[in-house]
Amino acid sequence: MVSLLARFLRENRELSALIICALISLTLLALPSSVKNAVSFVISTPILGPVKRAASGAVELVRVRRENAVLRQLTVRLMEERSSLLASRHENERLRELTGFLIAFEEEERFEMLPASVVGMPGGRVLEGIEIDRGLEHGVAVGMPVIAPEGLIGKISRTYPGRALIEPLTSAASAVAVTVERSRIRGIVRPRYRSASELVSWEMDYVAARSDIRTGDQIVTSGLGGVYPPGLVVGRVSNVTEGPLTMAIAVELAAEFATTEQVFVVTGRAETQPGRGDRLAEIARSILASEPGELSIGQPQASGSDSERSGTAPDDGESEPGETGDASPPGGTR
Amino acid sequence: MRPAPYVTLCAAAVILDATLTPHIEILGARPDFAVLVVVYGALLLGGRAPIISGFTMGLIADSELPEYLGLNALALAITGYLASRILDHLVKANIFVQCTVIAGATLLRDVIYYVVYYRNHLELFGRFLVHQGLLGAVYTAVLGALIYALARALNWKGVTSGSHW
Repeated sequence: MVSLLARFLRENRELSALIICALISLTLLALPSSVKNAVSFVISTPILGPVKRAASGAVELVRVRRENAVLRQLTVRLMEERSSLLASRHENERLRELTGFLIAFEEEERFEMLPASVVGMPGGRVLEGIEIDRGLEHGVAVGMPVIAPEGLIGKISRTYPGRALIEPLTSAASAVAVTVERSRIRGIVRPRYRSASELVSWEMDYVAARSDIRTGDQIVTSGLGGVYPPGLVVGRVSNVTEGPLTMAIAVELAAEFATTEQVFVVTGRAETQPGRGDRLAEIARSILASEPGELSIGQPQASGSDSERSGTAPDDGESEPGETGDASPPGGTR
Repeated sequence: MRPAPYVTLCAAAVILDATLTPHIEILGARPDFAVLVVVYGALLLGGRAPIISGFTMGLIADSELPEYLGLNALALAITGYLASRILDHLVKANIFVQCTVIAGATLLRDVIYYVVYYRNHLELFGRFLVHQGLLGAVYTAVLGALIYALARALNWKGVTSGSHW
């Protein structure tokens, strides 16, 4: 019997291999679970374990690379958004500042002001002009003072239909009648040039020796000369030098000419004074409804003609406080 | 084919089945590299090679699911034996014959394995066979034909030229 079986297996090698494999398989299937687990552990740990770890590492690497690419794109997008948000925040802060300035200024000075955006700064080494996006068709006229929240900028020197040019205080021809706010001493602030293109400083001239002027005193427009209304902030005294007859007074201007983006053209005095609540509501509505640079706060009434508007301008020679030689205190400091 | 390249192929099939197949699933169907190697073992080597290799690869695959330890080994050993027997009577060089044998072998292996696996829920076995078994068989056959064509194009003599083992 055994010899027959051995002969059969020798003659049918494939079948005998299958029978042996099947017997082993069935034996394994019949083993108790604990033994199966042990056998599986012995087989899988040295063979499949490292392979699976390597494979999962490779898969993880691919996943991490994809995730990395997505995160890079996300980072770029977030950086762009951050940049945009920062620009918006800056604009928001600027508008808040301008709104606060408008509220304070108009409540105190009762001026009609036309907001304008700076669109150009012609000139070489010295700032000779500032171009704004408001002109004749907006009621802007030559001679109107231009201010920024920090202080006086200059006056309108030329007008075009939709543009106007400001002659800033840096201009060689600039001269502003001023007064020291604390002591009411008057003088004229003008730029000092070492050469035609080298602006050195601003000085307050025509101040008698031993006048009551100290470093840090605020200087405002006096209203004399009829160009600028009184009380507009010009700057501060930065240095005082006594002379035999006059004093040499260096002035530091308040306005930052190079960085100014928004200015206000003083188009005239307000004829009627709406309540503070009405003004705030009007300002808020204007800011919400306008794009940056297209603010319409304090614009002259649409019903008024250009001639009517220019009639209220400080340089019209009619009834501006400066021309009456007033020495009345300004509405306040800003 | 000499035994050494064939053992390498078997190892590659085990690794691919354990790592790659879950990622190249199509409509729930996965290719079976072990069946591919078993069929090509029967095609190129014949004899006991497909049976022993099928048994070994099956046993390694079974180690992942200890409850059915030996079932894959049994299914692949039977598949190897029958593939070897059938191919003895067919034109081995015909690619369609090869594809048909691969698809049949894959189905056979699935039937043996899942009849035991679903022995208490045969309706699930039928559903599996219809939804995934048939597609898996076609998928494996197509993949096998592609690999074989690639091996021939690369003139991989160790794989495409046979010798009895």
